[in-house]
Amino acid sequence: MDQLEYLKSVLDQHPELQYSISQRHWSTDFLRFYHSETNYNISKDNITLAAELYKGKKSFSFAIENPERGRTDAAVRDALEVIDKLPEDPDFVDLENDLTLAEPRAVKNNIEAIPLELKTRILANVSAAAAMYDFDIFGTFICNHQTLRLINSNGLDKSSVSSPIYLEVKAVHNKSQVTVLETFGGEDFDFFNEQAFTEDLVQKILYCANPVVDVEPGQYDVVLAPRCLAEFTQYLAYGMSARALDQHSSWFEGKLDEQVFPAHISIVDDPSDPRMIRADYGSDGHIYRRLPLVEKGVFRAFLCNNYFAHKTGLPKNGNTASCLKIEPGDKTLEEMIGGIKRGLYISSLHYMNFINPRETSLTGLTRDGTFLIENGRVTKVVNNLRFTERIERILNNVVELEDHCATVPFSGNYASFEIETVKAPHARVKDFNVTSSTKTI
Amino acid sequence: MELLIRQTLNKLALPEVSFADVRVTRTDEEGIYFMNGFLRNYGSSMDSTAIGIRVLIGGCWGFAGSRDLSGAAIDRLVQTAVSNARQGANFIRGKVEFPALPGIRAEYHHQPQIDPFKMPKEEKTEFLRQLAEAIKPAGKIVHSMVSAQFMRQTKYYANSEGTYSHTSYYNTLPMMEVIASDGGQIQSRTWPGHMSAGRGGFELFTQQKFAENTDRIMKEAIDLLDAPTITDDRADIIINSGHLALQLHESVGHATEADRIFGMEISYAGKTFIKPEMLGSFQYGSPLVNIYSDSTDPKGLGYHPVDDEGVPGQKVDIIKDGILVNQQTSRQIAQLLGLQPSSNMKASYADDFPLVRMTNFCLAPGQGSLEELIASTEHGYLLDFTKTWSIDDNRNNFQFTTEIGYRIEGGKITGIVKEPTYFGITKDFWNSCDAVCGPEEWGYHSTFHCGKGEPGQVMQLSHGVAPARFKNINVSVKI
Repeated sequence: MDQLEYLKSVLDQHPELQYSISQRHWSTDFLRFYHSETNYNISKDNITLAAELYKGKKSFSFAIENPERGRTDAAVRDALEVIDKLPEDPDFVDLENDLTLAEPRAVKNNIEAIPLELKTRILANVSAAAAMYDFDIFGTFICNHQTLRLINSNGLDKSSVSSPIYLEVKAVHNKSQVTVLETFGGEDFDFFNEQAFTEDLVQKILYCANPVVDVEPGQYDVVLAPRCLAEFTQYLAYGMSARALDQHSSWFEGKLDEQVFPAHISIVDDPSDPRMIRADYGSDGHIYRRLPLVEKGVFRAFLCNNYFAHKTGLPKNGNTASCLKIEPGDKTLEEMIGGIKRGLYISSLHYMNFINPRETSLTGLTRDGTFLIENGRVTKVVNNLRFTERIERILNNVVELEDHCATVPFSGNYASFEIETVKAPHARVKDFNVTSSTKTI
Repeated sequence: MELLIRQTLNKLALPEVSFADVRVTRTDEEGIYFMNGFLRNYGSSMDSTAIGIRVLIGGCWGFAGSRDLSGAAIDRLVQTAVSNARQGANFIRGKVEFPALPGIRAEYHHQPQIDPFKMPKEEKTEFLRQLAEAIKPAGKIVHSMVSAQFMRQTKYYANSEGTYSHTSYYNTLPMMEVIASDGGQIQSRTWPGHMSAGRGGFELFTQQKFAENTDRIMKEAIDLLDAPTITDDRADIIINSGHLALQLHESVGHATEADRIFGMEISYAGKTFIKPEMLGSFQYGSPLVNIYSDSTDPKGLGYHPVDDEGVPGQKVDIIKDGILVNQQTSRQIAQLLGLQPSSNMKASYADDFPLVRMTNFCLAPGQGSLEELIASTEHGYLLDFTKTWSIDDNRNNFQFTTEIGYRIEGGKITGIVKEPTYFGITKDFWNSCDAVCGPEEWGYHSTFHCGKGEPGQVMQLSHGVAPARFKNINVSVKI
């Protein structure tokens, strides 16, 4: 009997309890490289048993790393001893009761499928291509693998497997430090085309042959790379959560079914795209289904888990904005750049933080390639810039979208190393508010 | 545990291994979270062990970590770490090298005044429930939270040079926040601010005067709804300690982590504007600015007798009389820069790879009280309680917003402003410092949440600071 089954058998002896328990086995093979050489190779794994126990409206939770029976027994004893003495949460009603199972799907273990030998061979090839232009490569090549089983006292019993891949290559010029970025993310390495990846990186490197200039603060017509639009949308999704609504910090409060953006803006949380890192279930175990969030500019749904569905009365969906897609438009990138007299191409963003989430105001910086567009052509490299903006204003100022999307991977940066993907097109945005220059590349 | 570590090191005693170290951590953590007056979550993770094995083979690092300390797991980790280093060595251009250090033994065991893990759970929740009740939503207060995180970690470290250390400590992160709304906008106030953690136990709640400040944060959050914003383009600003700790952290602390000079963090955390040739001559700040890294002070979260690659704890001047004189380094990077290693290599848990990290990173005190500093300011703002922070890839251009600003006119506080926002360039900003308050105002402000590295790690660390004044700062950003 595994530890999750054992914990279930222990808790089932206490019919007065409701419980939600899970066991996660996570591992990573992580190659970090700099200056076109290995910085370090890391392999890590852990098994975590987690439990959330309820007795009426009183709750206690615990997690056990590398669980075994003795520690599980001790944790349950500890929980039973204290749970009666804790104050109630009057907003708790019931645990998740959606028993729908996701369609089974085959997930390769990419730690095994992409061995270190293959990673270093690919990186050696990419670095050789970059070296021809005096660029070194820096970045990460990561494969994770996770199995998760979640059980609760309402009869929910669900398992899922994921194995995300994340390849990020930054090419940095050895003298000017001008940087460009190319990434691959997903769960299926068959979609990785080494030649196309390298050619795309080299194409960006070629932009860097232009001189480096500074630009003044002000409002610019900009073309946002898919990564930028994706990241702004991730931040916007904070306000789409029922939790943010409950905290009165959502910009979308009172806007359900209202036109909030232009009709060419549609955003969907879609767990089924094979080019993305997919999701079978939300964190409570609710099945993860396609959820339109913004349709033709109309706000359609809050992301709402079981707890906040009971608390706010909103429909439950269990989505967490983990599989965001921004629908494409009808322009080519060349057309979008070609229509700008003087503006900016922004490749990537850095260190964004909300100033006031209810207003969607934030500040952040450009990174890894900011370019000046003059008379419809990319003409110069620009020092990294600071912007202070409202995301709702940015989306309201989107005037054109590219006719196809790119899959953009993002790595979680705090403790639990999650990898997600977002699909987004290039976007042309008017009046983007640049507030200062960093004076550096 | 010493035996297990030594046995593991013995397995790494291979001719090709030029350096190896093994760490084990055992960690207890507890978190309590009240939302809107009610207990929303009480969680614990006890007796969580982790092991990390790092080897240097052929001039390349290999690492393997796990939460499983069984014999079979350790054998697997040894093989994996060695294999990772061997394979990685196929994609290197230069070899990692550094001089040997003499082996040492170290012990340190900290005890808090009130051990949060011995304190009955119902007693802790009752204390927090009373705080939560005091700031429960009513009127314009629409949301509130009270939280506590407690951590106790025991660490064992040994390396192939014969160093062995065994340490244990307690850290606590207490926090409360209210959000006020007038139906349109929202404003928030926290106590005691962004860097509220400390070395210690439950006593931090009384030391940081939580109960005494519930009414204050509710009043200030409501008052901020009707407060004006700053209309000046530039102003003198006094930054109070809690927020200055973050200003120091972002614009000096991270900037002087020398792994950034060599691009080791480009892929995530970023670079630094600092170049090796700046050491000894670069005027980072005004002559009043003295900044040091100090892993020898046990009052801060960054204390250690030995860092996570065997370097004894040290106090190192980073900026002396305004001049950049040193960096935070690892043994590998110190060798590249021709410096002595500064004892700044740390990993969050044993199964994390050690990185160059701040320990206790401090602005040395100057003279005078905050009251005297305000009295000597003709027109300006006292800024406190971090709301938003952001800094560029090179740690050169920053922008901060605080929850509240106190307007100063004629040496007196005359009102408040909401969301005061300032920005600047690191060198210009620190050179505009014309006063740092004295030792009576100096203290540690600490965080649990310094993110760096990939896979991501969050580090617990401290900043010793006293309030300081900066002249003619750009406060013109309007949102």
